[in-house]
Order: sequence, then C-alpha cells, then structure tokens
Amino acid sequence: MGWEEKQVRGYPEFVRTAQSYHGRPIFALFCGDKDAEGRSWCPDCVTAEPIVRKELHNLPDESVFIYCLVGDRAYWKDPNNEFRRNLKLTGVPTLLKYGTPQKLVEEECFKAELVRMLFTED
Amino acid sequence: SVQAHKEEDNPQKTMEVNGLTPVLDSYDYDLIVIGGGSGGLAAAKEAAKYEKKVMVLDFVTPTPQGSSWGLGGTCVNVGCIPKKLMHQAALLGQALQDSRKFGWQFTEEVQHNWMTMTEPVQNYIGSLNWGYRVALRDSKVTYENAYGVFVGPHTIKATNKKGVEKLYTAERFIIATGERPRYLGIPGDKEYCISSDDLFSLPYCPGKTLVVGASYVALECAGFLAGLGLDVTVMVRSILLRGFDQDMANKIGEYMKDHGVNFIREFVPIKVEQVEEGTPGILKVTAKSTTGDQVIEGEYNTVLLAIGRDPCTRKIGLDKVGVNINEKTGKIPVNDEEQTNVPYIYAVGDILQDKLELTPVAIQAGRLLVRRLYAGATTKCDYVNVPTTVFTPLEYGACGYSEETAVEKFGEENIEVYHSNFWPLEWTVPSRDNNKCYAKIICNIQDNERVIGFHVLGPNAGEVTQGFAAAIKCGLTKEQLDNTVGIHPVCAEV
Repeated sequence: MGWEEKQVRGYPEFVRTAQSYHGRPIFALFCGDKDAEGRSWCPDCVTAEPIVRKELHNLPDESVFIYCLVGDRAYWKDPNNEFRRNLKLTGVPTLLKYGTPQKLVEEECFKAELVRMLFTED
Repeated sequence: SVQAHKEEDNPQKTMEVNGLTPVLDSYDYDLIVIGGGSGGLAAAKEAAKYEKKVMVLDFVTPTPQGSSWGLGGTCVNVGCIPKKLMHQAALLGQALQDSRKFGWQFTEEVQHNWMTMTEPVQNYIGSLNWGYRVALRDSKVTYENAYGVFVGPHTIKATNKKGVEKLYTAERFIIATGERPRYLGIPGDKEYCISSDDLFSLPYCPGKTLVVGASYVALECAGFLAGLGLDVTVMVRSILLRGFDQDMANKIGEYMKDHGVNFIREFVPIKVEQVEEGTPGILKVTAKSTTGDQVIEGEYNTVLLAIGRDPCTRKIGLDKVGVNINEKTGKIPVNDEEQTNVPYIYAVGDILQDKLELTPVAIQAGRLLVRRLYAGATTKCDYVNVPTTVFTPLEYGACGYSEETAVEKFGEENIEVYHSNFWPLEWTVPSRDNNKCYAKIICNIQDNERVIGFHVLGPNAGEVTQGFAAAIKCGLTKEQLDNTVGIHPVCAEV
C-alpha cells in the first residue's frame, strides 16, 4: 500500500492528523501560508517544496506525508506560536520524521540527497 | 619507528571483489575510516574537505543487555554527553536544596524521576546522531552502518546488521574503533550487570546501585546517581582514580563519602546472582576481600561495572594486514604521526597505546593526521599538557603533572607546590562545606618556577581549568601567575 499525502493548515489540525495515523511512519513538511495565487510568503519554502515533492516516491510503504501550512508571516514570527513551542520548530521550511529527532531545516531541505536520506534511511 | 610492510607478490590478484579482480592502483576509496566516533568522524570530515573519497564504517555490537546506539561513538552516545547531562541533573538537585537558604520557598519535598530525565537526554543524543549523518552526507562521505574487518592488504569486509557482506578497498585506513567496558569474568556478570553502555538509556530507574570500580567512570556515575537520591555503594579493589594525582583522588573520595556515597574498600565481587526478576530486580553480590579471607554479601537493584575499558582491536582482522597490537592490552602502538607499523594504516583515539583517552585528543589527532596526509601540513598532535576534568560531585580539573609524577620526574627538591583551600562564595549562604574546595599548582624550581601541574577541586572545575591550560601551554611561571590580577568574587581567582 504505497504512501499517502494529507494537507493540513494550522497546529490543531496537524496534531489531530498526526495522531490519527499513529503507528505509521509520518513525515511532515511545514511551510508558510500561500496567497490566492498559490505563492508562499516564505521564499525558502517556495524553493524547497518542489525538491521535496520530487523525492516523495522514495517514501516507505504505509507512510504518511503531511503537508502543513503553519500560518501567516506574523503568526510564524511570534516566538510563542504552537509550532515553535510544542514541536520545537525553529524555521520554515522544516521537513521532519515525526516522533524522531530526524529533521531538515531551511536550506537543508534544498538538498535532494538529504531529503532522500530522511525518507529512506533509519 | 615504522617498519616497512612487505607485501606478498600480487596479493590483489588472488582475491575476488564482487566477482572482479581489483586493480592495485585504483582503490574504491582514498580513505576508509573504521569507527564513527570522535576521532573517526573528525578525520573523515577533514578528509572530505580536501575532496578525498572517504568512507566511514560504524557499527555498535549490542551490549549483553541489548543496548545499542547510533553514529557518533562513545562520547556522544554513552560517554561525555549523557554523563555531563546527568551530572547536571544531580547538581540541580543540590541547587534546589541550596535555594531554600537563598529565599526560595516551596513546601513539597523534591523528587527525581529517572524517565523524565533520560527521555530528553536520549532525544538530544538522537539529534546528534542525525546531525552527524547529515554532516557526512553533505560532505559526500559515504557512511555504512557495518562492521569492518580487514581481509587482506588494502581490503576490508563490511558486514551490516542483516549479515550482508561487502568488500571495499582503500589507499589508506584509519582505525578509530574505540573501546568497550570490561566485564569481571565472574558468574552472573554478563547476565545481570550493566555498564555505562547501558546506564544512560536504562528504561527504568536503577534504584539501589552497586558501582564496581574506582575509575573516573565509576566515580562520576556513582556521584550523579547519589545526587539523584539513589542509594549508592562503590566497591573499590585498591585505590581511587589510578593515574590521577592521588592527593586529589582521596579528597574526591572523602567528599563523596561525606555526601552519602558508601564505599567498600579492598573487595572484589566474585559472584552475582538474581534474587528477583524485575525492572529493576534484586541482585545478590558476593565479594571477597583482597587482603584476607573475608567474604561479604549485599543486595542491590542494579550492579554497574566500571572497572575499565578494552580496545576494539581483537576482532577486526589486524593479523590479516600485519598491524601490531599490544597483545596484553589490545592497544595499538603508533609513531608520533599516528602511523601503525603498516605504512598505509593509521590509528587515532582511545585505542592508541600510551596516549590520553579523551575526545578532544582524538579529534585533534584525527584532524591533524588528515591535514598531514592530504594538505601538506606538518603539525603533529601535541599530547603534552592536555587538560581534563572529572565530573564527580565535587569536580576536579587538572592539567599537566600530578604531584607524584612531578616528584618522580624532577625530584622532590626541585618542585614547589603552592596550594590553598577555598570556599566558593555561593556556598557560604547555604552553609555548604567551607574547607573542601582546593587548588594546587606544581612548579619546576629549576625552570623559573614554570607551572608544570595545575589541579583544582571545586564547582565548574572544567571551565576554570580550560584557561589555565592555555596559559600552561604558553609556559606560565609562578611569577606570571602572581602578577595576574584575580577576578572577584570567583573561585578561579584563588
């Protein structure tokens, strides 16, 4: 049964979705909100997204890829937002393997090699 | 001295590599590093900077209890890092007690939860393991989680945890396989005892613990376990901290005894039996005196063995490539350029004979070695005046000669020892010991009273010692020290 993608927005929806897939490998990409034309306020997210998407076919079977929009720029800049506080995110884009210390932050997400390593190796 | 390695004629032609016969002058890699610890990773990353094709092989054979860990070696996973964090946990416990005297009011007694501490410690270690993998991949260093064994000249066999074997060749090798805790060789040791390899990821509180050994590992672990509120006993065969200044070692022991650690001196365990299963269970330890016939017994939840560490050099095929090791200790003798008796095989880190077993030493040696190999550098690793710190409840920092070694080398009449007790200001208000902290310097009278040994026992000893190590490297004399105005009020001003 390959892998599947879920798109969510905001912290509560992310947590609910992650919990509903408990027991399966969960990978998540956190990006800034997109405007009506589909462009994110976060330029690094714009760069990273296609690179990450190109590696999705490497995801292990049964895994879930959660694409999560975190909020607008003002929300993200608040040092107390729930993503920073609870998930310890320090920047967007962040690509992580949920429930492990394995993550790639900002420019690390631009490197296909590293994305592939995150998806395929233990 | 380096002996020339005599290669048999055309060794490569007699070997198969994945069905193909390898050509001598085209190796798979410029450098293969065996061991992904402090020394190995530093060397690998440095070599990648010079655009060399590098592979790192790292594999952790699980402990008898089944513990294992990720890339990074002893320091990161089961050494310095978790040790210092748990030492900090114990110090915070002490600070909580002191805080009442400084006006903080809380009525409940404070308890410690082992799992609450170990979870973030292990998560941090996990992030370091991941960080190393990212760093290696980013530097284009190939990393394989596989056990490397030499099978012939320039050739290594790597076996992963699924048993899949691959052969690789390299122009040069660096052995950085490190060490693992030694067991006693008595009934019940492997079945029931744990070591430092298990302690930092133990999934339950160790409870009443017997620590066997008097190494810094034993005393540091005993120290923080007691600091967390556990009932701790240390069983010592003879002296504390062999190799360290004995005057300081005894002061450390006294402090620990005054602060609730029990010591059983001049006994060795001869048998460990299980009384009750559990996490933790109950173990019965039988021990015999080293000075007579007396036999004693005791019951503990956990028995932690910390009697020494042995190099991982016996099962890596060194005989196949002719690398000499010290048969008794397993250590590898090298020249001052970290080269073994086989010219294309080098070694760094804890496995080296007669060198200090410290992370920064391994890192420095690994980096400088690689710079000499690939960047035309000539600097050799300086093993003299390396500072260290023992993170016992009362920390001990040292750099240079112990008093005994100085007397032995220079003669008692040629050295002068200046010493002082001191009372940290922060300890006054909570009425903590006023005569336990101590500092001494050992000076060489014949050489302008050059400071050749620095020892300090007190809080933040590591932070204090680092600066003095630099001064000693510059040739600090007693007069220069006297002319340096102190910072007040800090312990270091003494």
